[in-house]
Amino acid sequence: MTVKELLRSRITLILLFLIPTLFYALVALTTTDRTIAFRLASISEETFVDVSERSESLIFIGLAAVGLLTSFLALNLVQKHSETTRRLVLCGYQPAELIVSKLLVLVCIVVLIGCYVGAMLPLFFDPKHFIFVIVGFALGGFVYGCYGLLVGSIFKRELEGILFIVLLANIDAGWLQNPIFYAEAHNKAIIRHLPAYFPSQTSIISAFTDYDIGTSIIGSFVYGSLLLVAALVIYWWRMRIR
Amino acid sequence: MVMPESALKNEYILEVQHVAKSFGKLNVLKDVSFGIRQGEIVGIVGENGAGKSTLLKILVGLLSPTDGEVVTIKGKMGYCPQELLTFETLTVRENFCYFAAAYGLNEWQETKDDLLDRFRFRQYEDMLVSKLSSGTKQKLNLAIALLHLPDVLILDEPYSGFDWETYLHFWDFTGELKLKKKSILIISHLVYDQSKFDTLFELKSGVLKCV
Repeated sequence: MTVKELLRSRITLILLFLIPTLFYALVALTTTDRTIAFRLASISEETFVDVSERSESLIFIGLAAVGLLTSFLALNLVQKHSETTRRLVLCGYQPAELIVSKLLVLVCIVVLIGCYVGAMLPLFFDPKHFIFVIVGFALGGFVYGCYGLLVGSIFKRELEGILFIVLLANIDAGWLQNPIFYAEAHNKAIIRHLPAYFPSQTSIISAFTDYDIGTSIIGSFVYGSLLLVAALVIYWWRMRIR
Repeated sequence: MVMPESALKNEYILEVQHVAKSFGKLNVLKDVSFGIRQGEIVGIVGENGAGKSTLLKILVGLLSPTDGEVVTIKGKMGYCPQELLTFETLTVRENFCYFAAAYGLNEWQETKDDLLDRFRFRQYEDMLVSKLSSGTKQKLNLAIALLHLPDVLILDEPYSGFDWETYLHFWDFTGELKLKKKSILIISHLVYDQSKFDTLFELKSGVLKCV
């Protein structure tokens, strides 16, 4: 039923595909091919990577787009019809069943959006390990999707949830993880605690180097899973019948 | 849930004992006690803001009482809320399907068809709920509460928005349920015909009194 509801919102479907395209176009038009050098936060060696500003920016804007879209979608899945969903629980559905069904839909959409956003990158440059860049995007969608589920479970009102998502997703994926904007991005003290850290490291390492991304992939799953467990607990608590 | 002695003695299938509910400093319900017997139609009336919907939400488990308890018997409960709690982006049929799954029903098509005919909205079965009139939405809202053939019906303003004919059909239907020994609790801020109720209470100043 969740899928049916989603597919009936044509404008949402169009925007899901239009927004990343516009983000990419914006970055492509406003950046240059000048070479920048930065250190990757998750690489312990004193390794500098030389990449074009445009290529690097496209990775992070893609991640920001995936993160924003999936977290908004997750927020909407949880908050929309919340009182009717509670009536479903009253009629016999378990809260865990409902949120898991929403999660399954979210995972499918995360993979779809991650593949779509990642698939556009070769139009602009040739990533070294293209598939793993897409994996990074999908992981970013997973982590931020779980964040959206958590925010939706905590906040009853839509506006508060939206502001929380916009606040974190923009600051995190769009700014602090990006070495161009945050000069100390190689300093992990702050950024490693943020949701986009592991997914962005997966994508950026895969795009420009041959370094191992195993830790980043595992870190993404662990981070997302922690957010998911918190979301499940809070959602169950809010939906339970007394 | 084990049937307590008081319920057995008085043959109540649903009993409320000294229920109170406060929201911060606001005491909505102070001391509400009543019971419903099998095959009884009970009405609770009161002004807007008297706490009728709050009482119903406590009965069905959506809210916890600050004090007192709700004693229930084993039996299926059907709840029709005051708000239109249906999925607007699904069709009428899909809403029935969703709630039938929640109830754990395997065979519900016949009951669904009966309800669609009874409340005269079969022609809207494949229409999105968002496109229905408010009266038709309310028919669906009520029908969902009846889909699993409950033993006890808790109805909050069930005929709100109904046309006159549907209102009469509703009371014909409740009469049939009464004959089948089903119990019905109806909350309303208006009571058109007191003779339809076996017992009528008024909720005023947080306390329930027999009318």
